[in-house]
Amino acid sequence: MSKKLLTTLCFLAMLAFPLVAQQTVSGTITGDDGETLIGVNILEKGTSNGVLSDLDGNYSIKVADGATLVFSYTGFETQEVEVGNQTAIDITLSAGVNLDEVVVTALGIKKEKKALTYSVSEVSPDGFAEARETNVVNSLAGKVAGVNVASTATGAGGSSRVLIRGNNSLSGSNQPLYVIDGVPIDNTNLGSAGMWGGADGGDGISSINPEDIESISVLKGASAAALYGYRSANGVILITTKSGAARKGIGVEFNTQVRTETLNNTYDFQREYGHGRDGLKPSTEAEALANGLYAWGAPLDGSSVIQFDGVSRPYSDAGDNASRFYRTGLSYINTLTLSGGNDRANFRFSASNLDNEDIMPNSGLTRRNFTLNTNAKLGERFTTSIMAMYVNEKAHNRPRLSDSPGNANYTALSLPASINVEDLKGDADKLGANADGTEFQFNDNVFVTNPYWAAYQFENDSRKDRLMGKAQIQYDITEDLFARGRIGLDRFTYRARNLTPFGTAYSPNGQISETTREVQELNTEILLGYNKDISDNLSLTIMAGGNQQRNFDETLGGSGSNFNVPFLHSINNTANRSVTFGFGEYQVNSLYGSAEVGLMRAIYLSGTYRNDWFSTLTAPDGSGENNQGYYSAGVGVVLSDLMALPRAIDFAKIRASYATGSGPGVAAQPYQLALTYGIFGQGHLGNPLGYITNGSIPNAALVPLVTKEMEIGFDLRMFTGRLTADFTYYDRATEDDIISAAVSATSGFTSKIVNIGSMSNKGVELLLTGTPVKNENFSWDINFNFAHNENLVERLLTPEGDEETLRADESRTRNAYIEHVEGLPYSQVAGFAYQRDEAGNIVVNADGLPQQGEFTYFGTGVAPTTMGIGSAFNYKNFSLSFLIDMRMGGKIYSATNAFAYTRGLHKNTLEGRETGIGPIEAANVEDYYGRIGGSITEQFIYDSDFAKLRQVVLSYNLPRSVIQKLPVSGVSLSVAARNLAILWKKAENIDPESTYNVSNAQGLEMFGVPSTRTVQFNLGVKF
Amino acid sequence: MKLRFKNILLLAVALLMTTTACDEGFGELNTNPNAANEINPKFQFTFIQLRTSGERYENWRASLIYSSMMMQHMAALCSYWTGDKYTYNAGYASSLFDRQYEQAVRDMQDLIVTLESGEAGDQTMLGMARIWRVVIFHRLTDLYGDVPYFEAGKGFLEGVDRPTFDAQEAIYMDMLNELEQAVAQLGEGGFEEADLIYGGNVDQWRRFGNSMMLRLGMRLSEVNASEAQKWVEKAIQGGTLQPGDDAFIEHTNGPEGINMNGIGEVLDLANGSAGENCPRISETFINWMKDHNDPRLTVIASPAVNTGEFTGLPNGLDNTTILDNPTGTDIEDFSRVNQAIVRVSSPMMFMTVAEAELLQAEAAVRGWGASDAAGHYANGVRAAMKRWEVYDASLAISDADIDAYLAANPFDSGDAMRQIGEQYWAATFLNEYETFANWRRTGYPELTPVNYPGNVTGGTIPVRLVLPQGELSVNPNMQAALNNQSLGTDFATHMTIPVWWDR
Repeated sequence: MSKKLLTTLCFLAMLAFPLVAQQTVSGTITGDDGETLIGVNILEKGTSNGVLSDLDGNYSIKVADGATLVFSYTGFETQEVEVGNQTAIDITLSAGVNLDEVVVTALGIKKEKKALTYSVSEVSPDGFAEARETNVVNSLAGKVAGVNVASTATGAGGSSRVLIRGNNSLSGSNQPLYVIDGVPIDNTNLGSAGMWGGADGGDGISSINPEDIESISVLKGASAAALYGYRSANGVILITTKSGAARKGIGVEFNTQVRTETLNNTYDFQREYGHGRDGLKPSTEAEALANGLYAWGAPLDGSSVIQFDGVSRPYSDAGDNASRFYRTGLSYINTLTLSGGNDRANFRFSASNLDNEDIMPNSGLTRRNFTLNTNAKLGERFTTSIMAMYVNEKAHNRPRLSDSPGNANYTALSLPASINVEDLKGDADKLGANADGTEFQFNDNVFVTNPYWAAYQFENDSRKDRLMGKAQIQYDITEDLFARGRIGLDRFTYRARNLTPFGTAYSPNGQISETTREVQELNTEILLGYNKDISDNLSLTIMAGGNQQRNFDETLGGSGSNFNVPFLHSINNTANRSVTFGFGEYQVNSLYGSAEVGLMRAIYLSGTYRNDWFSTLTAPDGSGENNQGYYSAGVGVVLSDLMALPRAIDFAKIRASYATGSGPGVAAQPYQLALTYGIFGQGHLGNPLGYITNGSIPNAALVPLVTKEMEIGFDLRMFTGRLTADFTYYDRATEDDIISAAVSATSGFTSKIVNIGSMSNKGVELLLTGTPVKNENFSWDINFNFAHNENLVERLLTPEGDEETLRADESRTRNAYIEHVEGLPYSQVAGFAYQRDEAGNIVVNADGLPQQGEFTYFGTGVAPTTMGIGSAFNYKNFSLSFLIDMRMGGKIYSATNAFAYTRGLHKNTLEGRETGIGPIEAANVEDYYGRIGGSITEQFIYDSDFAKLRQVVLSYNLPRSVIQKLPVSGVSLSVAARNLAILWKKAENIDPESTYNVSNAQGLEMFGVPSTRTVQFNLGVKF
Repeated sequence: MKLRFKNILLLAVALLMTTTACDEGFGELNTNPNAANEINPKFQFTFIQLRTSGERYENWRASLIYSSMMMQHMAALCSYWTGDKYTYNAGYASSLFDRQYEQAVRDMQDLIVTLESGEAGDQTMLGMARIWRVVIFHRLTDLYGDVPYFEAGKGFLEGVDRPTFDAQEAIYMDMLNELEQAVAQLGEGGFEEADLIYGGNVDQWRRFGNSMMLRLGMRLSEVNASEAQKWVEKAIQGGTLQPGDDAFIEHTNGPEGINMNGIGEVLDLANGSAGENCPRISETFINWMKDHNDPRLTVIASPAVNTGEFTGLPNGLDNTTILDNPTGTDIEDFSRVNQAIVRVSSPMMFMTVAEAELLQAEAAVRGWGASDAAGHYANGVRAAMKRWEVYDASLAISDADIDAYLAANPFDSGDAMRQIGEQYWAATFLNEYETFANWRRTGYPELTPVNYPGNVTGGTIPVRLVLPQGELSVNPNMQAALNNQSLGTDFATHMTIPVWWDR
């Protein structure tokens, strides 16, 4: 689409249209208890013109002649007032049924919830700040039906995997699009751990300061998200930031928090046998070193036995190594907010500092957020709005995970009972080192790193400087018609330094990499909106617009190995150096429109259409099927306005909609259509090296995947709002899924990109809220959400019928896999069962060892059922709330437990140590358990079900009577706890929420950072 | 007025919707500024040669941990150096298979198609490329038996994403034909300086191609003697490697892995790679050299740190059982590989004059187109000793020492096969894939197996490495290959089942 045309259109739209008389209305809003209400939504009916009441309950809004104002506030009854000639309207809202909530919908348009033909969940940010998570999306866990948040065992500021209504794509991203104040932001996962180790690099959404969030709207289905076109399939999370309001003077708010994080050690290993092998205590230092990882020794008897360092120590239970190695995590979070405004302009500015020390020693995160939000009216018809967020984030030593090199968790959590981890400290001035400064090895495998060396000498530092913002201008052409132009930017620079220090056992001369990455997304949008109540029985809303999205991602990296001067860890000091440069750029142009008709204020019909053009699907010669259209249609009927219903029912609506959409994936991957060659610039002995760069077999005939979703549901409110129910059933199909299908490496490639998949997701979502008790001093609210998603991989076959499974990942043990399989739900945890006889007994061979049996799909790694139970008690100025989060139906393969078998740590390995097992002598039972650990996947497949006490918050607001005597306008105190207890789980030793990455291959676990309980104290003061 | 605006709005929207320029400039935008759409065949050939030499990954696992330890060139105590214990580590065993197709075969097939099309390069390049393709594939089939061959590496070229596994017999027959045709194709032109082996010397390539034919032909001696004889005779007639023709790649200190010798990346203590302290020279190998007063002893081994003596580590020991070992109980009582031959900048040898001569000695013994077994034997031993000069001039063994060795260990026609086999074993040190193949064919040297607890072979030396289990799920064609070779569902048992030419 030509940019010129858009611009022309934009100008056309803004040129000289007649002014319509407007008037300003202002007033104060109070609740029926006499307290002023802050943040009441005041909307000029039938338009998108709206404001919020300020801290003192005041509002001011410009409206057209003959306007009607709609006052809505969560938990209160909505009122409508015809303005007439009034310029001051004071309103008292009564608590109770709220039928006409206003919610934020696609493209940032506010709409009456009543008029929606699809489900939108508004999430109150209550508790987000008090019970703060370093990554704010973790706070959504358990709160919204159908939103499945999987946090990872990756340490502070780690990535999270958010899944709405199940997985849509086998290989493409399944995470939702995040939109802040109308601006899509980048949520790239900057590094993740895999089979061979590595560290998480954090994701995009984790940069947001929870205190800046006014509200979160979750557009769960394709209909709700339809206007986001190719980005709609995984749902959209719309975040609205807080803005200022008209008030006297400048409002100052200060909030301080202290958060402690303590180890929630779920490991329960055997403490009866010590280090050694073959049932024997080691007798030499070399033997002890060789057996440093194995607990196949003799029974602990307190005798003096040599250890890896040649020192003899008592052969007895050395105690809890985890609590010795990890520390108490500590965070300080301070936020200062300034806000102010008048009837023409307002602003809000916040500055926040987060200082975190992780439980992993020598690891932590600091983050500074600065957010500015301004809104201004320029003349009678122009309004502008500018939001800017600057984030500076420094992560220090994000821990390595999964495989052993550099992974401190691997060893700190899995030492034999007779070894005290503190004996691995080595040099007091350089932890984990020998006197000569090199790694102090405690076992003979160079790839199993000393945990102190891993924690204190390795470096994995990164810094992210990020600017997100928007500039928006709106012109009200007539009272019914507006034009809006908006530019949204998300740009960040990421600097990372990764050091394997000189003297590391597996890399004696060390290596280092220095990386700079720049990522940018720029959106330019124009929109025309028309909104008119044609008669009492007919209203019309029409929008049309266009967007241009341009992204680039550029990486410049230097790496070097072999430090010339020992311990001088500069890349300039390396003998071998190389430089890499990566670059990708793409663009998506879009046109869209929507129409909505309201009949009798009770029947609503809506439809949308969007067409996207993709540069990534355009071949270099300009050919290619490079565009795709998406549409939605829906109907909502408010039964309670059309017919007489039982008196107990305040409100009843049924809705149905259908939409098509698509997910990112290929649309965001440039240069995939052709075979290309790369050059190793350094060459070899003067000869350049040329090679095929594609890891996947390229395919010029790709088209984007398509999702088709039908959604029906109802909203019900009863007993004057004491009980509400919101139910949705959806049925979604994904077709033409683009798969980077693992293919035989003997083809020369490990994957090929093809449109071969189809999948279905069918599910229900139920939200119940109730208020069993409510009186002057005490109220009790309870809510329950439940979602169940049935996923099925419908088709994985090519037309030739030659592809049946898709391998997504493999465990380090190399006998467990994640595969997508036709006819089974997504992300199957797969591997080898025990060989069994017909009666189901485990078969052993002549040596008494179990044998690998059938290759088996044990179940999906993505829990299909999620549930949350929350409750809040309010008594006078106290409130207490809690949230229980449950997940059921998923499987996980625990490599931690497999290694615990191989090494003799698992309690099950106690059996047979004195008696032998079958023909296996007692001294050789390690062969038996080693065989199981190394080849029998089935033994380590667990149900990943759990119930966690996710959150408890106790808060207290100083009563007015006290505040009045103080030079402040409000004081709140709270204590909040997150992840206090795992109430129920089935997996042995591990926290079932311990995956090491956020990829599509869910269901693998291995030596992650152990889970923690956090407790935080908050003090908020308003001036 | 409202009406007028609505008309304009509708017009504008209609205009937007019907515009056809919504993808202007997209073709250019989607052209990767960092990559090329065509490549000079020379650049690709150099790359393929380096990839055949291999990375640390498979050199460490398939070559050193398995092949060199099973062949008792080396020994170790470390728990993960499991090759001489005959235990099964799936990832180690399949490592060459796992890496070579993607690393070398893909570009090899692409290059050959480019050269065949005649759009770039010449016939001599094509001949050299076809010979090199055989170098890549013969190692794969020798280690793993039936492997993808005819359809391999053609995921893009022909859209084959799950190649058929071909019978080793068919692969061998084709490789031998390929060598014959490729040698005949060599003429003007070629890869010149981009060829890291011979700098493009066409005569040397001819002799190299014939020597590969000699190696592959002789490989069939036990399974199909007449076919073997046919190819051995053809190869000898064509002319094999002459002194100075050792086929090797010079490596450098970097800067990246691809520039380095993969074995050096594992064993070169000075160059900060893994700093592998585990392996030592096997007692079998050191004692064999000592028994024959072999001047290679000080070239191949270093004196033990603790004793200053040349002592080999017995195979099959671990850190516990070493304590009962009479020749030393500490790892530093034993000799390392001489660092001078395992630097990251050391050459990687693919085929040597010594091998060509020793194979002709065997051909002479068998009466297959060669005579003067003693002469070829002596040439072979001499070349095997001279081989090390290339690694470091200081390692040169004098002619006098070689003459003395030959005088003390003369060719014995009564014991020729054993003698040639043992010399071949010594001559191919650090080309462990070849050592392992020739040992399986000839049974020489007569290695004494160990019987380590937990071994999967019943205490016999493995006779093949094991295909990756994971391949089965992405390529069901592998099942037929397993069935055809009587390889069962328990992959650990595969190591005792011989490949076709070893039956």
